[in-house]
Amino acid sequence: MDFRFTEEQQLLRDSIEKFLREDYGSTGVGISERRKKSRKAPGYDVANWATFADLGWLGVAIPEEYGGIGGNLIDTMVVMEELGKGLILEPYFPTVVLGANAVLLGGTETQKRDILPGVVEGKVLLTLAHAEEQARNNPTDIATTATKHDSGWTLNGTKSLVLNAESATQLIVVARTSGNRADPNGLTLFLVDAKAEGITRTDYPTVDCLRASEVRFENVLAGQSQVLGTIDRGFEVLEAVIHRAILALGAEAVGMMEMLHKDTAEYTSQRVQFGHPLSHLQTVKHRIVDMFVETELTRSLLYRATTEALAGQASATQDMHALKYKLGKAGRFVGQSAVQLHGGMGQTEDLRIGHYFIRLAAMDPLLGDKDYHLQRYVDLMDIPEGEPDANILPF
Amino acid sequence: MDIQLTEEDLAFQQEVRDFLGQYAPKNSSELWSKRNDWFKALKEKGWDCPKWPVEFGGPGWSPVQHYIWDKETCAYSLPPELPFGKVMLAPILMRYGSKEQIERFMPDIRDNKVNWCQGYSEPGAGSDLASLKTKAELSADGTEYTVNGTKIWTTMAHMAQWMFCLTRTQSTGVRQEGITFLLINMKTPGIVVKPIFTLGGSHHVNQVFFDNVKVPVENRIGEEGKGWTYAKGLLQHERSGIAGISRTIVALDKLKKNARAVPDGDQTLLDDRAFVTRIAETEIELRALEFAELRSLADAQHTGEPGTASSILKLKGTEMQQRMQELTIEAAGIYGLNQGFKEAGPKFSKMGMMLYLNGRAATVYGGCSEVQKDVIAKRVLGLVDAGT
Repeated sequence: MDFRFTEEQQLLRDSIEKFLREDYGSTGVGISERRKKSRKAPGYDVANWATFADLGWLGVAIPEEYGGIGGNLIDTMVVMEELGKGLILEPYFPTVVLGANAVLLGGTETQKRDILPGVVEGKVLLTLAHAEEQARNNPTDIATTATKHDSGWTLNGTKSLVLNAESATQLIVVARTSGNRADPNGLTLFLVDAKAEGITRTDYPTVDCLRASEVRFENVLAGQSQVLGTIDRGFEVLEAVIHRAILALGAEAVGMMEMLHKDTAEYTSQRVQFGHPLSHLQTVKHRIVDMFVETELTRSLLYRATTEALAGQASATQDMHALKYKLGKAGRFVGQSAVQLHGGMGQTEDLRIGHYFIRLAAMDPLLGDKDYHLQRYVDLMDIPEGEPDANILPF
Repeated sequence: MDIQLTEEDLAFQQEVRDFLGQYAPKNSSELWSKRNDWFKALKEKGWDCPKWPVEFGGPGWSPVQHYIWDKETCAYSLPPELPFGKVMLAPILMRYGSKEQIERFMPDIRDNKVNWCQGYSEPGAGSDLASLKTKAELSADGTEYTVNGTKIWTTMAHMAQWMFCLTRTQSTGVRQEGITFLLINMKTPGIVVKPIFTLGGSHHVNQVFFDNVKVPVENRIGEEGKGWTYAKGLLQHERSGIAGISRTIVALDKLKKNARAVPDGDQTLLDDRAFVTRIAETEIELRALEFAELRSLADAQHTGEPGTASSILKLKGTEMQQRMQELTIEAAGIYGLNQGFKEAGPKFSKMGMMLYLNGRAATVYGGCSEVQKDVIAKRVLGLVDAGT
């Protein structure tokens, strides 16, 4: 048992941190540009994306045979924690975490060879077209249909909050090929060219200064080679992708929560009111301690869910639900506390804490909110067998 | 980063399981009838003082082995032992006691032959322990102290033969530097123990009065005026033990089993989604804490320092104990009110209420939660105190 990071992981962490601090500027002057940048496509700096590729970040989790570094879930955790702290605008999450994992977990050998090297080089951008209005939190509730005909399938339906769809070269679309609307069986994943005929997009900025689209599919054609995984069994891949995405969001959240309690400790130690720094007040100090405690508990769940997933333990699923619930709840508490303790300055977008606060709030509804994941945790909760036990003394 | 136990740790886990399977009491009647057999088996195995180092006859376990031991044992109901001698005083004796003191006191501590109590808190010194006033004056010939004053919240003082006690030997200068650590025989003339009944009517704690109590100088640990330094190390032993995370996890599992037998119309309490959701919320916090404890242990094993995650264990561990106890009395419903007739209602009800009431103390003793937060603010987050 060992919770230390390897030397390579430490180097990776340091290099990302250094680049984002010195060259990217998102934690300093770049902060004021975020909102403005998000108002126009593509909403990020294309040159930065190329740099991410050059530095090898896009291939961290992609096996060596497809041009990547072949890292594991811990390596991705390190990357996501630092990218979270750096408040990047680039589409790492949709392309690398959602898209590349879907190809990696569901794709044929040909599809992997066609797509993954391009992801590593920064030339192929992916995203997942999954969410639908009626489904709310339920990932199996899919009304978008893919109807079989002689030469393939025809896709019809509307997808919401497709992250960075305007920049993507290919969309991974979750569609129903059989079964009732919320049936986990009968879903299929399709790889669709972003410019395919029949796709219409409405692009917009999101509250956390990123970009997304509502995407409409009207008689969009897909051939056999565009099927990602097995027909009707798409949920198996989708579920695995969502698990990895939750681990990634968890790492991003923990990175931001750490910055929030540190920034708040620093700000309240400098801000003098009533003749002394605000942090001298116990009510302020204890709230910062609560922020720290919640951050460390979320981090513990992140480490637990990630290491268990890596070891292939069955309990990893339960811990993944626990993590998504906890990051929704604790992320909100830590974000709100930082804004509150920064007073007037907390209400502006001039400091990074405001951006962390918004991003944490935006994360909760993604891929199922805290209530949804708490209930899935309840569904899986272990109830030990056996008779009632009257001896409840704690020894 | 790796959560797998090593081969050696897995072998140790199996050894612990085999030992518990063979010797641990199987049910509550065996808890008393097999009590002596259990302690004998522990002693023969060399596991009767798990926290002690090898040179004092302990097993010298690694942090991870301690975790395995705690985790495995808490699944059983084992005969209880008071922590005051083995867990709290022994580490101080081993580190600061004289050869004579070690030879005199350690064997009886090991065999549980002497009950110890802790004389720390006073009516005017609770969270602010350094303000303690119980006075110890050394005689002119330097052979004995005369102790006057009072200690309060002294757990099991009414059953104890000895007390380890913080006394004031100097009232000028830095408060922490005038404190002396004495071992006091409770039979000494001038000691009066008065019971204090806590919430629910239990008698565990007492007030102890000292009226010209004579304590031989050879019962002083270390140097005069250094008692605070010795005690601080001891407080950390106390805190690390009272988080009780593994025990609370087991208790929550028992609560689930008990809730399944609590009728709720045609269903059981376990079919009540709101109640089960609250169990789940508590369990998630405990899963996080359990891993925070593991992180802390692994850090201690690899770096010698328990890491920042450890600071939250006492604070949150005791909160989770209390939340589990709350859920237990809510599961008991109206039967938690009945403290007389044994046959009515679920069998866990009366004990559940007692544990709930006594359990409020967990966020007070061993450094109350508010003080724990001050400590985290200062040591972990670097926030300075007002006026410093």
